[in-house]
Amino acid sequence: MNMKKFAALLLGALMVLTLAACGAASSSAAGAASGAAVTDEPQTTEEAAALYAKLMDQENALFSENTDLWEKVYLQANKGMAMVEDGKNYGDFLLDTIETAKSEFSAEELEVLTKAAGEIRDIENQLTALEEKFPDCQQAYMNGGASVSPEEGSLQKFPAFEGKDLDGNTVNSDDLFSANAVTVVNFWFTACKPCVGELGDLDALNRELAEKGGALIGINTTTLNGDEASIAEAKEVLAKKGASYQNVYFDASGAAGTFIQNIFAYPTTYVVDRNGNIVGDPIMGAITEKNQAEALQKLIDQALAADAG
Amino acid sequence: MDNKNSCRASLLLARFRGWVQAGAALLTNLHLPNFFRGRLYQGAGKAVCVPGLNCYSCPAASGACPIGAFQAVVGSSKFRFSYYITGTLILLGVLLGRFICGFLCPFGWFQELLHKLPTKKLSTRRLRPLTYLKYAVLLVMVVLLPALAVNEVGMGDPFFCKYLCPQGVLEGAIPLSLTNAGIRAALGTLFTRKLGILLAVAVLSVVFYRPFCKWLCPLGAFYALLNRVSLFQMQVDPNKCISCGKCAKACQMDVDITKTPNHTECIRCGMCVRACPTHAVAFRYGFGNGRQNTTETTMED
Repeated sequence: MNMKKFAALLLGALMVLTLAACGAASSSAAGAASGAAVTDEPQTTEEAAALYAKLMDQENALFSENTDLWEKVYLQANKGMAMVEDGKNYGDFLLDTIETAKSEFSAEELEVLTKAAGEIRDIENQLTALEEKFPDCQQAYMNGGASVSPEEGSLQKFPAFEGKDLDGNTVNSDDLFSANAVTVVNFWFTACKPCVGELGDLDALNRELAEKGGALIGINTTTLNGDEASIAEAKEVLAKKGASYQNVYFDASGAAGTFIQNIFAYPTTYVVDRNGNIVGDPIMGAITEKNQAEALQKLIDQALAADAG
Repeated sequence: MDNKNSCRASLLLARFRGWVQAGAALLTNLHLPNFFRGRLYQGAGKAVCVPGLNCYSCPAASGACPIGAFQAVVGSSKFRFSYYITGTLILLGVLLGRFICGFLCPFGWFQELLHKLPTKKLSTRRLRPLTYLKYAVLLVMVVLLPALAVNEVGMGDPFFCKYLCPQGVLEGAIPLSLTNAGIRAALGTLFTRKLGILLAVAVLSVVFYRPFCKWLCPLGAFYALLNRVSLFQMQVDPNKCISCGKCAKACQMDVDITKTPNHTECIRCGMCVRACPTHAVAFRYGFGNGRQNTTETTMED
């Protein structure tokens, strides 16, 4: 009897230790991977994510070295002198922007910017290769590193999509985001009670945003791929709740579809700026909660301020 | 002949129960790396119900909790009842009954491990009326409220998951909020209240044996109703039984196996099997009534 008790205790302790050991082992593995990141080929998604993180850090460091100069570059980009084309290297985009706006900078500044943009192009190439090999590494990096620098704005892009709204009008993410100072993107599904519960609040928020040059869109995950029955249900619920803002769907197989696979808390709400970059951390849970609504408003204000300035 | 074999098998099963519980807990939560990633497994396995009370939102969970899934379906605007889940539960109940509680349920195991802490233990025998509470939990929180207390779109809340279930806090809210900042930001009073319930259950588990299983668990209640017709039964051999009462004393679920081998509270843990000095108590699997032999003796008496 005592023996059994002892064995059980031992087993319990062992389980806890194994878990702890697991944690330590995987984190140290990740640490080692990031240490040797640039030279070693990553083998697992974790290693790839670590390498991804390292590259992103390098890129962010380049941006933060000359924040003022880059702000000027972004300003030029905002004027639409060069647009980000889908799938185009971000470094190339920066180089183009700098090239078209070179009259704005001194020779010295130009040299600094061009050199940095070139480095960014190389980093972006590595990142793209990494993403091709490990499709999940970006998400893994986001999960691991999202809390590290939400303020600094690591310029994480909202995945591009091309789809339709529930009335059948074509919607393109680039056009959508660039047309609005801020776009609030709400992920929901029809059978989710808290999601449906906040539809009214979201509609009010959309009307409020419209006055400030922003917009709110919904993405109902059950309507992906244009499932007729789901669209009809979603429209019915939206009508019942008096929500008139745009709801869009797209192919589940695209980048945005993959993005959705990694959302597991519903509703989840993202704030996206005019350049298609995600602002801050997503809000998980309904904004009917006061502190959640406040957190969302803060992100919106942040995006609006950045757009105005 | 057969009897002796079943005796030995019963003893072995009862003795290695802890290992079976550990294995079952691991199998129901296979995706361990998700604990560190702070995300959920969302693959095809989640369309299947696990036998025990194991939160869908545990990062490692391999399947869905039948109680949670049932509420999600009856609470949706499209359905009033879930035949798939009810059928699964009836099948599991008939095949195994509360053997699932004793051997396969991770939350039962959690309470048992806590009970092994060396403190003074209290009997729940006098608290017997509380065992009926779990049927009310099943009927009201799992079936009626989710289906009937609906909003304007016809959707109900999963009342048991939302307001009572401590397993959800232990396996879902705590590990997710530890690794995921977004989830952490979403925690509110509901979480605090349920954390209180979890802590209360944990503390009670140290002094009482499986308080949640006895008094509150709706899944245990469902299996209890099917314990009587389950293929997995207890059997007492009247020819070997010397009526010493050791089995009843050993039973932590307050059952006298010699009188009621198919009792709703019996979780087939086999403590009576191990306690019996004459090996008169054994597990039995198959059709027929385990009590037949006993009735014969009472008639002889």
